Amino acid sequence: MAVKFRDYYEVLGVPRTATAEEIKRAYRSLARKHHPDLQPAAERARAAERFKEINEAHDVLSDADKRAKYDALGADWKGGMDFTPPPGARRGPTVTTTDWEDVGDFSDFFASIFGERGGGTRRGGRQVPMPGADIEGELPVTLEEVLRGGQRRITLDDRSLDVTIPRGIRDGATLRLAGQGARSRNGGPPGDVYLHVRLLPHPRYRISGDDLEMDLPLWPWQAVLGADVRVDTPDGPVTLTVPAGTQTGKRLRLRGRGLPRGDKRGDLYAVARVFVPTRPSAEERAAYENLRRLATAPADRPATP
Amino acid sequence: MSVTPLPMHGHVHLTLRELAVACGISPTRLVHLVQLGLVEPDPEAPDHFSSAAAARLRRMLRLRADLGVNLAGAAIIVDLMERLDRLDAEFTRLRGQRWT
Repeated sequence: MAVKFRDYYEVLGVPRTATAEEIKRAYRSLARKHHPDLQPAAERARAAERFKEINEAHDVLSDADKRAKYDALGADWKGGMDFTPPPGARRGPTVTTTDWEDVGDFSDFFASIFGERGGGTRRGGRQVPMPGADIEGELPVTLEEVLRGGQRRITLDDRSLDVTIPRGIRDGATLRLAGQGARSRNGGPPGDVYLHVRLLPHPRYRISGDDLEMDLPLWPWQAVLGADVRVDTPDGPVTLTVPAGTQTGKRLRLRGRGLPRGDKRGDLYAVARVFVPTRPSAEERAAYENLRRLATAPADRPATP
Repeated sequence: MSVTPLPMHGHVHLTLRELAVACGISPTRLVHLVQLGLVEPDPEAPDHFSSAAAARLRRMLRLRADLGVNLAGAAIIVDLMERLDRLDAEFTRLRGQRWT
């Protein structure tokens, strides 16, 4: 199987004659520029790819043995060429595609020359096993999922994950999936996946802390005389008793119908809004005119609250 | 071949010990970092840390390992990056509003 040649000198932007010092300097400067943790959220995944290349190039060129082995391939190769390793280029048994996964973030090209483990422990430089990179993403959740929990299949970096959304999770919370991130490049543990929860707006309910709020439209006579009305809560319909004399803006509480927090739940508030009939019948008009005649309100219109 | 992924149960909160394991440092060292104010417990759940704190500390440790900054410097970098992300999101939102 052919792999693509990687021009490590080109990746670091140094000539083939570069000194160890020049390679180190080029690496530091590129690492700073392309480090995924220094990129805006949207560009992190792309930067991670570039950063891997830079690290791979640095891993080879900063190690005298590996650099010698790489240089021995000759100067005629160009990045992207189909590459078949010369016989004896790698140690150990034949590397199969599955074995290559052990090199973690390093390329198949790297594995074809240095073997699965990069040709043993590096001399000098950092050899502490570093965890693989974390992958961060957004997890949009619906109000129903907050109320009941749920399961969602998401795609992150071409990988599919079935995520269990815990009941009662909140907007802005972060969900950690341990060990589901990128593999390590040198035998360390894999990275994590961090999902930032974003609560999608709901057409009927507004969220305020642990409580939910909804509009409760009422006819004037219901507001004046009181009424039993049907209200759709997230748990299904209930009958709510609207007391006589309910003003627009009055908050009627339905206890324990809000968002879950631990074993408890917040409340649901139905906010009364009095609507008037836009096209009253002749009888309704007559009734309102009668009402106007009989009205005992002290002023010609209600006082501004 | 299609692979059916297993359901992943994520965590929103971590104990001090769990956070230490999550970030590959010792609990003693984590206590020290908390005392220095480089890692902050969840204001809503004392003795616990949010998963966001884990993401943050891991970022700081990566920045230190990869770029050689110290943790105090890394904390500042992470703060600034978070601020930049918020501003980016706000900018995108405002630009969207202007044309609709």
